[in-house]
Amino acid sequence: MAGAFDFVPAIAALPLLAFVIALFAGQYMPKRGAEAGIAATAGSLILSIWTALTVAGMTGSETFYNENLYTWVAGVADSAVTLRLGVLVDPLTALMLVIVSLIALLVHVFSLGYMNDEGETGLPRYYAGLGLFTASMLAFVFSNNILMAFMFFELVGLCSYLLIGFWFREDGPPSAAKKAFLVTRFGDYFFLIGVVGIFATFGTGLFAPVEAASGTMESFPHMAEMAIEESETFFGYGAQTWMTILGLLVLGGVVGKSAQFPLHTWLPDAMEGPTPVSALIHAATMVAAGVYLVARMYGFYALSPQALAVIALIGGFTALFAATMGVVKQELKQVLAYSTISQYGYMMLALGAGGYVAAVFHLTTHAIFKALLFLGAGSVIIAMHHNENMWDMGGLKDKMPVTYWTFLSGSLALAGIVPFAGFWSKDEVLFEALIHGVGTEGTLGAMFLLAYAMGLLAVFFTGFYTFRMVYLTFHGNARTDVARDPEPVRWNVKAPLAVLGIGAATVGLVNMAPVEKLTGLHIDFLHQWLDGPEEGGWPDALSTDLHHYEELLHNVPHVDPAYPIGGEQTTLIVSAALSLGLALGGVLLARSLYGVDEPVEHTDKLGGAKALLTHNYYQDESQVWLAQGVTVPLARAADKFDQGVVDGVVNGVSSVSLFTGSRFRRIQSGVVSNYAALMTLSLVLLLVAFVVLGGVA
Amino acid sequence: MPIAGPVEALLGVTLLGAFLVFLAPDEYAGKLATAVSLVPVAVSVWMYSVFDGAGNALLGGTLAFESDLGWVSLGRYDLAWQVGLDGISMPLLLLATVLTTLALVSSWTPIDERESQFYGLMLLMEASLIGVFTALDFFLWLVFWEAVLIPMYFLIGVWGGPRRKYAAIKFFVYTNVATLVMFVGFMALVFGLGDSISTFGMAEIAQALREGGNLSTLAGLAPADLRLVAFTLMFAGFAVKVPVFPVHTWLPDAHVEAPTPVSVMLAGVLLKMGTYALLRFNFTMLRETAEANAGIIVAFGVLSVIYGAMLALAQQDLKRIVAYSSISSMGYVILGLVAFTPHGFGGATFQMIAHGLISGLMFMTVGVIYNETHTRMVGDISGIADRMPWAVGIFVAAAFGYMGLPFMAGFAAEYLIFQGAFASTVIPAAPLVTAVGMFGIVVVAGYLLWAMQRTLFGEYSLATDYDVSRAPVHDVAPLVVLLALVIVLGVRPGLVYRMIQDAVNPLLHGGVVLW
Repeated sequence: MAGAFDFVPAIAALPLLAFVIALFAGQYMPKRGAEAGIAATAGSLILSIWTALTVAGMTGSETFYNENLYTWVAGVADSAVTLRLGVLVDPLTALMLVIVSLIALLVHVFSLGYMNDEGETGLPRYYAGLGLFTASMLAFVFSNNILMAFMFFELVGLCSYLLIGFWFREDGPPSAAKKAFLVTRFGDYFFLIGVVGIFATFGTGLFAPVEAASGTMESFPHMAEMAIEESETFFGYGAQTWMTILGLLVLGGVVGKSAQFPLHTWLPDAMEGPTPVSALIHAATMVAAGVYLVARMYGFYALSPQALAVIALIGGFTALFAATMGVVKQELKQVLAYSTISQYGYMMLALGAGGYVAAVFHLTTHAIFKALLFLGAGSVIIAMHHNENMWDMGGLKDKMPVTYWTFLSGSLALAGIVPFAGFWSKDEVLFEALIHGVGTEGTLGAMFLLAYAMGLLAVFFTGFYTFRMVYLTFHGNARTDVARDPEPVRWNVKAPLAVLGIGAATVGLVNMAPVEKLTGLHIDFLHQWLDGPEEGGWPDALSTDLHHYEELLHNVPHVDPAYPIGGEQTTLIVSAALSLGLALGGVLLARSLYGVDEPVEHTDKLGGAKALLTHNYYQDESQVWLAQGVTVPLARAADKFDQGVVDGVVNGVSSVSLFTGSRFRRIQSGVVSNYAALMTLSLVLLLVAFVVLGGVA
Repeated sequence: MPIAGPVEALLGVTLLGAFLVFLAPDEYAGKLATAVSLVPVAVSVWMYSVFDGAGNALLGGTLAFESDLGWVSLGRYDLAWQVGLDGISMPLLLLATVLTTLALVSSWTPIDERESQFYGLMLLMEASLIGVFTALDFFLWLVFWEAVLIPMYFLIGVWGGPRRKYAAIKFFVYTNVATLVMFVGFMALVFGLGDSISTFGMAEIAQALREGGNLSTLAGLAPADLRLVAFTLMFAGFAVKVPVFPVHTWLPDAHVEAPTPVSVMLAGVLLKMGTYALLRFNFTMLRETAEANAGIIVAFGVLSVIYGAMLALAQQDLKRIVAYSSISSMGYVILGLVAFTPHGFGGATFQMIAHGLISGLMFMTVGVIYNETHTRMVGDISGIADRMPWAVGIFVAAAFGYMGLPFMAGFAAEYLIFQGAFASTVIPAAPLVTAVGMFGIVVVAGYLLWAMQRTLFGEYSLATDYDVSRAPVHDVAPLVVLLALVIVLGVRPGLVYRMIQDAVNPLLHGGVVLW
């Protein structure tokens, strides 16, 4: 009997098919290929939901799946690894599949309004790109080994290049596309070393064990755990150190794709792409891929205290760092771009600090509210005739109520205001970081607390920049003629906004851990989802469950929770109140500064910090300098060296020989037939010499 | 054994075709040559489909399509007409025949003078290349090896750019001197082996050398020193062809001056002669010497990767960019070979095929753009994506192929090389050295993305006085074929990787000695 799991490859294959159809037949279709994309992503969504229901045990068959389906490269020799593609479905996969296909579907629908209705050209290319993007991300999500994950990770990078650079006739987008690919490629370089290293170390890249006819094929996180237990050595390093090295190498790719410091610089530039693409990149595909990868192989990261500390610190720092830059931006999408960087920082913080559920929770809620905010921004941009400057807006609240109310829902979620989705997830991230920071001994605990402090501080900035954006865009008086008479948007824009707007208000319900802990009601559904049943089922077979991760965290890096203020409940209330208070503080400050009829800039009050922030801490400048000020001159120097010295020697040798051999001028005729004759002659001479000599010897 | 096996048929048809084309009128030469070249394509595809070779040709494997006929006796050595294929040479033979046909089609637009001679020489070169990849007797092989140079010299020297004379002579003299150096090295081995061999069969020599102990002292050199000297001379000789830093400088000159289809053959197939010979001679016959000196060899490989990529970064001429990047890509082959692991050897051989297709594709695409714009300088062209969408689309795809995008052949090759090299026990500090070499994948993205941004995108402008329009179908068709091949091999590397592995594994295990 064919179950949902037999159709999992089709979840990615459908959008891939849409890519082909849109590319070759899109120009003959009325919506230029959007039909194929919408049908395919709708199909993916249905299959994903079916998969999730099956994982939940509602169809009565197996609740997990992990199979190798395709042998990409068969290693013939004993010592040659075999490289395969396969599908892994566990609760994490199922959740992510639903998120990605849902967002992709909504983005496709929204694109009808944003691209088709606006009379864009090149739409088959656009929809082909969206299809390939979705397909790559979905295949990445259900990859059952790290090489396959890398391969689709790279395809995701290609698609971002194609879509960010969609408007190739202008100068900005191709440049931004190049930057996006190059910066993430730099991260992927380390990732690839990590992949090669993992295969070289374990002979497999499986995330979870596969039951094959020939026996169980173990996963690499499990093998790493065993190796550490038995204190093996690899390539001259102790197991513990080596796992940290491998983990950090893979993390390079995560930092690049998830736009974490210092490889975040591509993301704000990527706003050059069409806004629906930004929604897709930020909410569900490219940027989410990095964090998802850490969650996918959490059983490996949980083995290395150093890697956990690095993840937590990068996350906490990025959350704060990006939030401060979001404060001074003039353009709507720029604010959102920095908020994305910052929010993914929170997820990294949670993963590093042992808050696996919190990270996945925030990944889920963020996907909803960030897609909403970008699509809302897209709606505003249509209305504003593609002017993105918030200072040219104002007063849009009454003219576009659907956009306003949904955008507000997303903003409240982003700022972390109770009871919107972002509050629950961000609160859990901070709570987990706090209790593990207090409970874990030594440097690791201190690192967690430092990361926590940065994350907590960022809450204030988040509340501030989010509502600065809301007030400048929608409140006050309209500041330009366009804002006074904005272009109306159609159902294809409003419908996705409505779906997501409701989502942003309610998705938090899936894991109201604080309420659960205060009342004893078992409503932490996500927690249960990721934990699995006590006995039997996928946790025992795959070891990708929360319970296993908590054991690892406890046993290897000794990450444990402790409650600094009273018991668990008091700590919980204080932590939640603290972050909510800071968020409200930010919102209120934004309201007092910008929530007026005629707002003015207050950035001058920042003094010297203003220049620093508007220039993004000169991060871009320093990276451009690395590329253009260091690498290019180095390349030129190498070229000079090559022309002058290396080739100079060659030419020198030939002219010297020409000079000394000038009496052989007659045979240096430059006619090749002479050379050929000469060559043959010398060959014959050599032969003769060799026969004579050979005979003697 | 029949006198004319498939290999002889291939050679015969191609040579005969070459002479026919020489005699044909210019108007028909291109079409005729293309039609003729389809025969070797068909024959080699058939050979691939019925290929039944097993093991390594030099190490006692079963050859496919073997002929071994006495030829001449020279002193106490018998020279033989000995040809055959194993899993290493079969894919290379396919590469040579397929790429030749595509290069011939891509010549229709740019070649407009002395066509019959041009196409005749191209076929002559194809025949020589077929010989290089099938000959298994050293002298026979050497004749083909040298015979490749003559048509190449004329193709660059007559149909090339402004500095074609200089480039052609440089190419010819440089590679010829290299052959001489290699020849001396090889002969030293033959002398050293003395009575232990009675033919120039590469298999006989390889097995005599691998058994060890057969080498006698020659010219005061103990056997171990003799091996080292021979290895060094042969490596130096073949390195020129590959090319490996620092003996690469003939390459950019030759590429820049050569007409596009000739560049396609040069980068696509001729460079592989060097790595093929390195694999057959240095790494098969003198395995211990290669292993003992892995540190130095890998340094040349990694240096070529990074140095070639840095040079590519400094170029303004699209063709020069691709030319230098070939140095980088071929450096990976060295890295793979010297690892002495299954995926190292296999990946290196696969990279010969993958790079042959991808660099051919890149050069052709640059050629198609040149046909329309009459310039290749990055600063002269901008925003042509609108005017020639399909050609530009393929350019983008090819560039990503060059950058090693998964599911394209280049990724499979490079990944296997990295996998093989990382786990090598022969390369000192293998993980670190491999990681350094891998940095090439970042630099390659840098220069190709930069070049694309400048030339393909942005506002349309052109410094030369031509009207850019869609490229003709026969210009784009070979690109589509190549791109399809690159993707097919990227999705299913096993199509050739299976036979490659079968042929390279005996290099590690010592092989089966059948006689």
